[in-house]
Amino acid sequence: MPRSSHQPCREFNVVVLGAGGVGKSCLTAQFVHNEWIESYDPTIEDSYRKIVAVDGRQVVLEILDTAGTEQFVAMRDLYMKTGQGFLLVFSISSKASFDELEGLRDDIIRIKDDEDIPIVIVGNKADLEDQRAVDRAKAFSLSQRWNAPYYEASARTRTNVDEAFIHLCRQLLQREDSQDDGAAGPSRPDDSTSRRRRRRRRKEKCPIL
Amino acid sequence: MLNEKGMRSSLQVAPLAVHKTRSSSSLAASASADTIDSQITPPATPNEPQDNGYVAPFANPVFHNFLRALYPFHPDYVASESTVTLPLSAGDIVLVHSIHTNGWADGTQLADGSRGWLPTNYCAAYNPVEMSCLLKALLNFWDLMRSTTLNDSEIFGNQEFMKGIIAGVRYLLDRAGCLTKESPVLQRNDRLRRSRKSLLSELTSLVKTSKRLQDAQRTLGGGGGGSDDDAAADDDDEAINDLVDEMILKAFRIITKGVSFLDLVEEDRSMRLPTLTIPCGAAADTRLAEHGSLSRPASFAPGNAAGRPESRSSCLSSGYLQQGADARRLSQSSLAQTNRLSAISRRVSLVGVPSSSRPHNLVSERLNACHDTFLSHLGSFIGRLQLHAHSRPSLAVAVRQSATSGGDLLVVVDVVCAHSPIRSDAVEQARAAMYHQIRDLVSAARDVLHSAEPGMEDEAIVPHDNGRLLCAATGCVKATGESVAKTRLLIERIGDFEYDFGSGSLGILAEDFGLSDLADIPAEDRPEHRRADLASISESTVSETPTASTAPSVAEDPAEARSRSLSLDKPLPDLPRPDSPVMEEPPAPAQSQSPRDAADAGRASAVSSVSSLRPDLPPLPKISTTSLPGEDYDPARPSAAHEDAEYSSFRSETLTATSAGSARTYLSRDSESSLPSQTSTRASTPDAAQTPKTQPSLSSLSSSQAPTEDDEMEDKMLEKTYAHELVFNKEGQLTGGTLPALVERLTAHGSTPDALFVSTFYLTFRLFCTPVSLTEALIHRFDYVGDAPHIATPVRLRTYNVFKGWLESHWRDESDRPALALIRDFAENKLAAALPGPGQRLLELADKVAVADGTLVPRLVSSMAKTAASVTLAPADAPPPAPSLTRSQAHALASWKSGGAAPSVLDFDPLEIARQLTLMQMAIFCAITPDELLGAKWTKDKTGTEAPNVKAMSAFTTSLTNMVIETILQHDEVKKRAVAIKAWIKIAHQCSLLHNYDALTAIVCALTVTSIQRLKMTWDLVSVKRKEMLNGLEAVVHVSSNYKALRALLHDRVPPCLPFIGMFLTDLTFVDAGNPSTRTTSTGLTVINFDKHMRTAKCIAELLRFQIPYRLAEVPDLQDLLSAQLEQAQEQEKAVANAQAAQFRKSKMLEPGDAQLQQLRNPVDGTLGGGMFSWMRGGNANNNHNAFPAQI
Repeated sequence: MPRSSHQPCREFNVVVLGAGGVGKSCLTAQFVHNEWIESYDPTIEDSYRKIVAVDGRQVVLEILDTAGTEQFVAMRDLYMKTGQGFLLVFSISSKASFDELEGLRDDIIRIKDDEDIPIVIVGNKADLEDQRAVDRAKAFSLSQRWNAPYYEASARTRTNVDEAFIHLCRQLLQREDSQDDGAAGPSRPDDSTSRRRRRRRRKEKCPIL
Repeated sequence: MLNEKGMRSSLQVAPLAVHKTRSSSSLAASASADTIDSQITPPATPNEPQDNGYVAPFANPVFHNFLRALYPFHPDYVASESTVTLPLSAGDIVLVHSIHTNGWADGTQLADGSRGWLPTNYCAAYNPVEMSCLLKALLNFWDLMRSTTLNDSEIFGNQEFMKGIIAGVRYLLDRAGCLTKESPVLQRNDRLRRSRKSLLSELTSLVKTSKRLQDAQRTLGGGGGGSDDDAAADDDDEAINDLVDEMILKAFRIITKGVSFLDLVEEDRSMRLPTLTIPCGAAADTRLAEHGSLSRPASFAPGNAAGRPESRSSCLSSGYLQQGADARRLSQSSLAQTNRLSAISRRVSLVGVPSSSRPHNLVSERLNACHDTFLSHLGSFIGRLQLHAHSRPSLAVAVRQSATSGGDLLVVVDVVCAHSPIRSDAVEQARAAMYHQIRDLVSAARDVLHSAEPGMEDEAIVPHDNGRLLCAATGCVKATGESVAKTRLLIERIGDFEYDFGSGSLGILAEDFGLSDLADIPAEDRPEHRRADLASISESTVSETPTASTAPSVAEDPAEARSRSLSLDKPLPDLPRPDSPVMEEPPAPAQSQSPRDAADAGRASAVSSVSSLRPDLPPLPKISTTSLPGEDYDPARPSAAHEDAEYSSFRSETLTATSAGSARTYLSRDSESSLPSQTSTRASTPDAAQTPKTQPSLSSLSSSQAPTEDDEMEDKMLEKTYAHELVFNKEGQLTGGTLPALVERLTAHGSTPDALFVSTFYLTFRLFCTPVSLTEALIHRFDYVGDAPHIATPVRLRTYNVFKGWLESHWRDESDRPALALIRDFAENKLAAALPGPGQRLLELADKVAVADGTLVPRLVSSMAKTAASVTLAPADAPPPAPSLTRSQAHALASWKSGGAAPSVLDFDPLEIARQLTLMQMAIFCAITPDELLGAKWTKDKTGTEAPNVKAMSAFTTSLTNMVIETILQHDEVKKRAVAIKAWIKIAHQCSLLHNYDALTAIVCALTVTSIQRLKMTWDLVSVKRKEMLNGLEAVVHVSSNYKALRALLHDRVPPCLPFIGMFLTDLTFVDAGNPSTRTTSTGLTVINFDKHMRTAKCIAELLRFQIPYRLAEVPDLQDLLSAQLEQAQEQEKAVANAQAAQFRKSKMLEPGDAQLQQLRNPVDGTLGGGMFSWMRGGNANNNHNAFPAQI
């Protein structure tokens, strides 16, 4: 359904997850940082907000990246709860960081109670091809299994950074559109639709947020 | 229509900034009223090159802050009241505030401080290497003077802002080889000697004025920032304003003196080395030229009236293209591409005969111009192809522009062929080849565009297509080169001739290429958001356009109309011819073809007047304010205007006073502005009558110092300094510098270094240099200050003090040990020789450090924070509040200690639990050293040795969360779970009252995780009041909006307080990730990005300022109990792979969840029993499930 541009801006919460040291903070910083601002201050309120245009529609992305607090394992649940879409980041030079994704996704699905929550997989540090430890094929097969797009990105060379976020955003928009159209979403099994609706209803009651 | 459209698009592109004056005919055409809107559109922001749907200038030329007049400019029509043009004499230096696309610049003449509009084609960029530091210093000075408030004694107090100018002058003298009075150059050349002397006197005079300002500041500071309407304060303000004005004028004079000094130096050089044709400035010139911008004339001496303008005309490349943005924002690959092509076209254009001495519509020039344009379009196109960032509309536009400009070129070739009496097969073949190449390109582009499915994303042009386009485009470049070369040969044979190129013929060829279908694409596909992005820009252009086009038709007072016609339609004047150096009246052709006349005669003829190959630029846009009532500048209200200036830099343009006015109104010369000039052109230029009343007369500024003062300045000049290698931001804060420059600042003699700078330096120096290189830099500083005897001793003492502070309080043996031998050697020899006492002490310190474990002087807790901690602490003699512990609770603890059963944590007073948790956490927190927080050590180190206390902190918090969850989930009875939840909410509340946000975060997190939140039945037993309390607490520590609530609380929180450390860890991570470690100065020097380290240090200081223990009584037994429980929780966590999932499973067991619950609640299903069974499996039967039980 086409939308006109004067519709109010949509806002989405996106959570960036991944093992420590995969460079997700660089990825996020690259994405939100205005290049012509000489120095980046992460302590102000909209340090992690960015207005992006996806297919001609303005979207406000609020990015939650708790890089640096990976050791606060118990907090992860709380962070995940705020997200509507997830960027799961690993480093192509670290097999362990790739293996962690599976658990992260399980947690997300458990916490969001939603099998088809929008997720984008990002293999970071694509510039370190000579140190590659995760086969591209492997990452692709994960991508197919999860039905989630896979990007090989490099925060250092600013490759595919915007693309990954925008793709996630596009997924969120599509999902919202199909939800707005009610149960008419053609490709979705009834089960998951009702499940998602239930989740939404519960969310309204939820004392948090 | 198509013709016009196609042509326009080629016109409005500013290809590569290779518009030489002779090629600017195309731009003149766009001055016709119907194209004015696109003409005024500023260059797209560098980030989104396809913003306006047309090809954006891909090489954003450098904005030149300083121009130098090559010719005198004394326009007759200055008489106009609404416009102030700036008369120039050859050699004048102008500080540029903005440049309009039409080529007129708003600038301040440094010689007398007057401000107005000037034609950039009379000028060249001025930034010779020798002067670069001084010019940079003037910009800093200017920014500082206009941006700081008068009460900012911190800035004015320590005279830092003077150092840059002094260092700039020193640099100039040093480069010129005239640093000392005795230098052979000065001995030989008396004029040079006198010029140097006058420069130094000027500097002395400025220094003196700044001291006066400092004094005035101090007296004002005594008043204490009183209210503005206080008359006395007003007077003071005014006095200070006058001083600031005077200083600005003096700084200008230093520049002009410096320039004439440099001119003399160059003259001197050229006399001695007559063969030397390239002055030292050439290196800088080359660099500038690479960015597609102006190049400075190879040599210029205004004293030599014989300066030959025609030899320089190629350097007069369009100043009007110098739109602000920084070249380094461009993506590298496109830049590289651009450079290569621009180099080609520049070379080609230089082959052509210089224009100014010849008629302007020579065919050869037209050929060159068209070739340049075509190449630059192709260059842009190829550059984009290689970036792979191609949207369909931008591709279409690029191809269309390339093809159109290619068409233009073909027309020229055809004209030459037709004119030639002899038939040249070579040319015709080359032409045919070129024609086919362009056709190929267009058809390739069309295939690509049409094969793309409608649903496909903009970016979906596959590499294969890219390859084809690339191939076609490079083919075009080749064929075009061939064709142009052949044509040029032909022209040489038949002789150059003039030809009036009409515009009509151009589009036909464009049609030939089948561009019509390409032309539509951008219009329909251009995404909405791009327009929105441009909204602010187009708003300003739109608002101008109607007035511009309708104004002539409105009947008006003739005088006013005349003035408008001057201000509205003012082309840049022609460059003076060598035979008539003084410009009198714009030459007749330019006048008759001025767009205003054309507009009067009808648009069509305006379009056809493209043909004029006159070397001027489009008209000066509306400078008159009369047609914009909303923006009127009322000379009667200068003060109101002044206030207004605060909220809009654009508007401030309309309020320009002379440079002697308050510096704060100048917000226009803003290198970060991406819409530099269009917006500024509504400016009314200053009213000559509006000079500030106290403007010091220039003659009074000329200095007459006593010889001793000059000698002082001589001494000052001899001080070696690295001050020019420091970088400041617009607020005057240090943001970068080389190591020697930073060390120099650390050991400055004139002023005490600022505390934040020193603490940042000590904390972070290992991130940007090694201990050995720091030692060497300090020793170097110790050495070179010896050349300036009068400051040597204080600086050397400071150097010693830096060593002392390092060894005493900031020594880290594991990393710093390699420097120790150097330091010992320095102490024993150099330092002991100059200052025996300190030498001895430093040696002792070095010995101690070698054997000591840890720092010699214990780090003061919260030493980094400037807050007076002692004030906020409770008086030391007041006893801490007594523990809230009943006898039976104490007994239970005691029996646990002696081997009995552990009491439940929840049996105790929530207040006491909160207190003991806080004490335990604070003990860990206070042990954190600043070093642990550097370089993301806490994430990198797996063993836990590098950041032990940060790790302990996070482990404690995590264990606490798990413990809370465990104490809730351990109960099978719903009622007991509710009791536990309630107790933890109370404890969390007590933590928040104690400002222990770390424990608060941990507990709130536990209560809101999915495993707990989903226990609907349990929550039903928790009272609304408690739930609301929890909601309130959660809002405090919630991560949303980047911890907005928590940040606000912590911001003015006085200790004792325990912040949530995770927030700071994230901040530190992002300061590191989001800021590069080096930055590049305007002079091309790579320096340490000190701003990054400053931010890191601020963040750490902000965290560690809370390292002040609570004054609470310890209850060791209770702490032991808590520790035991926490350990247990930690072990449980380690025992399973995923503790959270395990908790969730447990939670599921206790209350199976929605599906069953719904069935349970819905008797229609008749499956009540099953549902009941399933959720009761893990619980027990006495649960009250059929009614809402009484709330606890």
